[in-house]
Amino acid sequence: MIKTGTYLDLLLMIVIVAATYYFYEKTKDPTWKPFIRHIPALDAIREGVGKSVEEDKPVHFAMGQSGGQLYSNLVSMTLTALAFLRHITILCAEHGARLIVHLPSQTESIPLIEGTAREGFGFAGKPEMYRRDDMRYYGRGALTWTQGVTASYAEEGVGLNLSIGIFYSDCPISLEMAHIMGGMNVGGTGRWIMVYAFAMMCDYVFLGEEIYAAAAQVSEDPIMISGILIEEVGKFFVYILLIVGTLLAAVGLDVAALLSL
Amino acid sequence: MAMFRREIPTAVLSFVGVVILLAFFTTLDIFETIKGVFTSWIPVISATSVGLGLIYMVYAQYMNYQRNKNLNNLIYLVVPLVFFVIFFGTALVVPGNISSDAYQWLYFHIYQNVGGVIYAVMFFTLASSAIRTMRVVTKDPSGALQFRLEAAALMFGGIIYTLRQIPLFQVYLPGIVGFGEWIMLVPNVGGGRAAVMAAALGAIVVGIRTLWGKEKTTTEVD
Repeated sequence: MIKTGTYLDLLLMIVIVAATYYFYEKTKDPTWKPFIRHIPALDAIREGVGKSVEEDKPVHFAMGQSGGQLYSNLVSMTLTALAFLRHITILCAEHGARLIVHLPSQTESIPLIEGTAREGFGFAGKPEMYRRDDMRYYGRGALTWTQGVTASYAEEGVGLNLSIGIFYSDCPISLEMAHIMGGMNVGGTGRWIMVYAFAMMCDYVFLGEEIYAAAAQVSEDPIMISGILIEEVGKFFVYILLIVGTLLAAVGLDVAALLSL
Repeated sequence: MAMFRREIPTAVLSFVGVVILLAFFTTLDIFETIKGVFTSWIPVISATSVGLGLIYMVYAQYMNYQRNKNLNNLIYLVVPLVFFVIFFGTALVVPGNISSDAYQWLYFHIYQNVGGVIYAVMFFTLASSAIRTMRVVTKDPSGALQFRLEAAALMFGGIIYTLRQIPLFQVYLPGIVGFGEWIMLVPNVGGGRAAVMAAALGAIVVGIRTLWGKEKTTTEVD
């Protein structure tokens, strides 16, 4: 009944679901406060909003030209970017900074993005700061998107550029142009192949999975924060696999065959 | 109202997610069939998305022009529409449609060249940022040794691999080729795989949280 080749995946899935249940139960205890490593890039976002206000320049938020995917295996990054959008919206509302959101090409996610921005301004008590004009849509194509985004940097200035989400070849141009225009770059993506661009071009970077941990932290929601601990359980599972695999390989067992069960 | 906006979408999402998982893990054909029906909607949504995008963009640009009637905003409104009419009209009207010489000319002589120019800009941006990468600078306020070592390792690896690519060094410093390859294939691949696994775990956790109906980003938005 279980497909051959998916036993290990299923085991990992069961471990994570069990950990999820355990930690969700823990969140019911109001005194439970897990220790979470601080991520410096989170402070940089607040610093960047302050810089934007001082320089009278807007804050730019981008989740990538393809960052609105709701039906692909990258959907988790879309949701993570939305958590950051809510966070930056609240920060902008608190500090009085103008926020420009560069929308992804996937129109099906626009209501969710606009709703998140509107809700963030409303949460901060400044719903009037939500401006439809500052929700920018450039159509399809990474190269079209980068032209629109960089034109916005040039015309309106850039104080902070927060880029988090699904990025392809769109990020090198937009990040570097923001830097050239005097903006502060903070960002990251879960797509490992593009992390190099963020590491090179950002003043503060979220490396790979840090975007998930940081999104949980900025949400300040115990259930979201417990996700970081659930991730740690998964990592320990992988460590165990690595150690056991190394030992078994050392005694001559075919570990590759075991892993493909 | 909240039920229509939160509970029902969450229930539908969870149901579809569980079916997709069952299709992945089990050999039962029924789940594979239902998954096929669900996934067949992807091109429909994608195609609809293109149409909606055009309407959204035209509306946004039109409203922008209405609020601020200057030449730039007029150009932003008119130029995409002109190109849309030219491309779409050529594809519909000219015999041969998108295979016609006229459409192929538009594609290869306008669209592709503009794309090529932007790609070229990307390589300039990479070159200018690469210079910053080679500096041993950490912006971590603690200035901890760990971060200094990370910055130094990045610079060291970058320099070795860059020198390895230059024919002059390949000739006069042949050992650098093997060393550069080793950096690329051993520490780079090891670190990359660890990062991919960690990111995958993060994605799984977000996925399970969404199926559980606890993902704040999908339940808090009105």
